[in-house]
Amino acid sequence: METVIETRALTKRFGDRAAVDGVDLVVPAGVAFGFLGPNGAGKTTMIRTLLGLTKASSGEVSLLGLPQPAKRREALARVGAIVEEPRFHPHLTGRENLRIVAAARDVAADGRIDESLARVGLAQRADDRVKTYSLGMRQRLGIARCLLADPQLLILDEPMNGLDPAGILEMRHLIRAFVEEGRTVFLSSHLLDEVEKTCDQVAIVDRGRVILQGGVRDIAATGDPTVLIDVDDTEAARRILTAEARITAVEQEGTELRIRLSDGIGAADVNRALVQAGVAVSRLEPARATLEEKFLEVTSRLEGNE
Amino acid sequence: MRLVAAEVLKIRRRRGLMIWSLLLTIGAVLVTQIIIIALHAANPDHYGAAGGRANLEGYTALLALLGSVAAIVIGATAGTQDVSNGVFRDLVVTGRPRSTLFSVRVPGALLIFLPMLAIGFVLAIGVTYGFAGDRPTPSTSYVWHSIAYAVSLTVVNLIIAIGLASFMSSRIVVGVLIAWNTIIAHLLLGIDVIGRVRKLIDIAAAEHFSPAINDNNQISMSDTTALLVLVGWAVVFFVAGRWWTQRRDA
Repeated sequence: METVIETRALTKRFGDRAAVDGVDLVVPAGVAFGFLGPNGAGKTTMIRTLLGLTKASSGEVSLLGLPQPAKRREALARVGAIVEEPRFHPHLTGRENLRIVAAARDVAADGRIDESLARVGLAQRADDRVKTYSLGMRQRLGIARCLLADPQLLILDEPMNGLDPAGILEMRHLIRAFVEEGRTVFLSSHLLDEVEKTCDQVAIVDRGRVILQGGVRDIAATGDPTVLIDVDDTEAARRILTAEARITAVEQEGTELRIRLSDGIGAADVNRALVQAGVAVSRLEPARATLEEKFLEVTSRLEGNE
Repeated sequence: MRLVAAEVLKIRRRRGLMIWSLLLTIGAVLVTQIIIIALHAANPDHYGAAGGRANLEGYTALLALLGSVAAIVIGATAGTQDVSNGVFRDLVVTGRPRSTLFSVRVPGALLIFLPMLAIGFVLAIGVTYGFAGDRPTPSTSYVWHSIAYAVSLTVVNLIIAIGLASFMSSRIVVGVLIAWNTIIAHLLLGIDVIGRVRKLIDIAAAEHFSPAINDNNQISMSDTTALLVLVGWAVVFFVAGRWWTQRRDA
């Protein structure tokens, strides 16, 4: 498996506090990778450390297979990044701002300015000063700035922040289009829903540590299977199901029961047990585990351990 | 060269900065000349011609003083604008060495400032000879020394401003350097007890090249010493700015 980002025991300390705490991260090529965590989890510090904007306290980083910081220039030549909110010289136009960054890249970057502006839908406003741009336009200009490198890897820090629903949808399409072109997109976010909709793989981070890492669907599907049932007699059903040792949890949400099953019992067994006890089952549906549930589960587990 | 052109673009598009810098260099000389020419035309017995050696002294002093203010403002802007606009990190993630990102600020700022100073001198010299009337005109050597004085003082101030502003990440250096040039350095030069240490003051070294000041200058030094002092000031602040630019979090 080709990897574009690999870290080993990466740590960044500010005094006694570890903002990034021994992170082992592997980001495969050609995917949208979500770096998911609550605010203050260390996502931006991790990105800044990956890009060499701040020095790591310890650990190893490799970008596009090149060790950092030894091969920094070679690696960053094919990396585009937005760190925190995209910032620009407000007195310059969008096109001029891209010219500034293109000058720091290889000569071919100058030739990509128009193409990048068109790609993000800013060709018409390219000659307006950036101080007249909305936040959504600045996000898009930030993406255009990344594209100047014709990047193999895009690192986007909270790219959906401040965008309206249409902007979020547009950004999601853009990210998926980059992945379809064979690029890798590493994006940090605290928006679970967006990561689930946009990303193929995810790492859940909290307090500087990576708690879980893997495919979005794999992570969401881990843990005990859950089924949702509607019955004619909720109280009787609760009594019957609670008595069954292989059912680990029974929760009532309105008229619906949400039950969590352990190994050795399936939805059909639940149905049989209820029907045999005279409870009519009108609905029995496996619940689709969401990343959000998994996220809350692992982060709340951490809080419980404190 | 592309990075230098980018630096020029960033400064050139700052309308306010450009207008003030033009006023402080070309504008100041032009306005002074217009006033002197008008006064001379209105009352030639009372007001002398706008040209001649004595007026070149005045124009040079004006360009050295107000030109230094313009150089300091341009230098401080060049030294801080990437960081203050939050763009520095975007330049760093291109992989370009931070030392390069810092170093190009100097030629970028000079390419903005020096043409202004040059036009200011063209106006000064043009009027010095063209409107001399019966006043004595300066020798070529005198003119070159006047230019050397103003250029050395302003260029060193510009480099100091870039280095110090990059080091401090603040435009407060504008006030500090103007205070140094107009008050503090002159106070120090006036303290005899300090003795030969005063040679190390940048203004004393620059004044060594001024034919008008050097005649009565108490702090005498050789050309080499003056040059070394000026280069020393520029190098110290350049290195400090580059060091911090390499070291700081982006």
